[in-house]
Amino acid sequence: MTSQAATATTVFAVFMLATVVLGLAAVRGRTPGGGIADWSVGGRSLGTVLIWVLMAGEGYTSFSYLGAAGWGYNHGSPVLYVIAYMSCGYAIGYVVGPTLWAYARRHGLVTITDMVAHRYGRPWLGTAVAILATVCLLPYIQLQITGMGVVVSTISYGAISLNWAYFVAFAVTTTFVVISGLRGSAWVSVLKDVLVIATLGFLAVYVPLHYFGGYGPFLDRLTAEKPAWLTLTGHGGSGLGGAWFATTSFLNSLTVVIFPTTVAGYLGARSADTLRRNAMLLPFYNVLLFVPMLLGMAALFVVPGLKGAESNLALFKLVVDSLPAWAVGVIGVAAALSSIVPMGVFMLVIGTMWGRSVLGAVPALAGRQDRQKVAAQVVVVVAGALALLMTYTRPDTLVRLSLISYEGMAQLVPMVLIGLVWRKLTLWGAVSGLVVGGTLVCWLVFTGHDPLWGVNAGAPALAVNLLVALAVSRFGPRTADLRPDDEVLAADPGPGGEPEGPGGALSVPGATLGND
Amino acid sequence: MLRKRPHLAWLAAPYVLYLAALPAVNRLHPTVAGLPFLFFWLLLATLLTPAAVYLAWRGDRAHRARRTRDGAGGTDRGAA
Repeated sequence: MTSQAATATTVFAVFMLATVVLGLAAVRGRTPGGGIADWSVGGRSLGTVLIWVLMAGEGYTSFSYLGAAGWGYNHGSPVLYVIAYMSCGYAIGYVVGPTLWAYARRHGLVTITDMVAHRYGRPWLGTAVAILATVCLLPYIQLQITGMGVVVSTISYGAISLNWAYFVAFAVTTTFVVISGLRGSAWVSVLKDVLVIATLGFLAVYVPLHYFGGYGPFLDRLTAEKPAWLTLTGHGGSGLGGAWFATTSFLNSLTVVIFPTTVAGYLGARSADTLRRNAMLLPFYNVLLFVPMLLGMAALFVVPGLKGAESNLALFKLVVDSLPAWAVGVIGVAAALSSIVPMGVFMLVIGTMWGRSVLGAVPALAGRQDRQKVAAQVVVVVAGALALLMTYTRPDTLVRLSLISYEGMAQLVPMVLIGLVWRKLTLWGAVSGLVVGGTLVCWLVFTGHDPLWGVNAGAPALAVNLLVALAVSRFGPRTADLRPDDEVLAADPGPGGEPEGPGGALSVPGATLGND
Repeated sequence: MLRKRPHLAWLAAPYVLYLAALPAVNRLHPTVAGLPFLFFWLLLATLLTPAAVYLAWRGDRAHRARRTRDGAGGTDRGAA
């Protein structure tokens, strides 16, 4: 091991240890036996600050460092769709967040599959959606493991092998998620966000200065020599034009608000106002997303000729090339934590969905919050191990996988978003739409028809999904559900509409960080 | 909901800025402070989105204040 490798690896090891300690410390002083709600949604007690770092942390994944820079390098502007959909999603989260939060709190629900089961009055539907969502989320965990592996192997100058790095990603995340749940993820997010903001802020200034003598010369050169990268459809015949950009951003903005991990963040909030404040504050974080994209394009001049998956390392090639080992280590830690935090929430959500909606249906677990929590914790380990195994045996490139997951999850939009506010959407309408839309997406993506006619394939699939759902609701079988609308539907509690003060799950002693 | 809280229409602002405006802003020139126009526009949209959500929030606060006041003055109105 060279001295550079030793330095960077030491920095990395110290921070990983700190991560585990921080994650475990998150539950210090809390009384054990809080059941699944305490673990899955942090006892619904997180304040504005913790929700901000947690949700920003979920949004800023290893994709941001790798895929975003890689897309910037290969295609340029199309990758800005990430910023567009996140901003739109945060904005409509102003209404969707409080709506789901109030619904879950009122009926004691802890995950999106719980809500579906409650809305349609069918536990098996929760089970089915949980399995479907797991299939969509597992690739995400794998994506984070792969991303972290590549980063760690690069920043350790090859001293840590890919396979070891994958294992570290799994081990660190599993440890604190199993013990501390959502609260642990939120605390680790604090460390993560501090490092991400500091290192990206630094790189945004340093890289153009170091290689080009400042922003002016960098941008001038970019505009003069690489104009194809700077407008849609981008460089390289990607076929990703304005229509693709708009449909993808629109579709993803609807999907992100019901994405099980986003919903976990919503449900962890102490009050509806916490979520409204975050809808205001979260879009600021997106400014940071410009940095890896710009640096990906800067890499075009510094390390030209990167091919295929190598282009994902566009940003890190610059970092390793231009900075001392300790700084490389710190930036690597920020990127590694950007894998660990989202991965932790993904695993947590899969565990929660199974603990509640799949295994929770087993008689021995039904109605037993403590046992459901244990089941969920076991599932976390199993899901993580499965993803690790997939990483060793079936590695894949970064971006495609996440697109399939998103287009698949998008098909839940009618069932969840419309179903929760509109009683006339029937059980069989929602199910038929989901089945048809889901099948269509899989077929389009796996036969290479995405984008379809220049638009995101998930969009026509969602349109068909919606039409089928409406038609079957109108003309298809109706199931008797005698519960009043008030019990079945969700509504935005409105400003000041939620019960505040003592009582219910709101007043949780011992929550020290993020109280506001 | 929009009838009672019309200010929530502000939440559609990012859709207009990022998506609807796209055909008009998908261009290299004019550059603004060196930034290609598309990038400048999307950066501007990213900074304006929190402002739009703030306007929705401010509307909600006014709505809440109005409701509290009306609630307190309910009997007066009944008499009138």
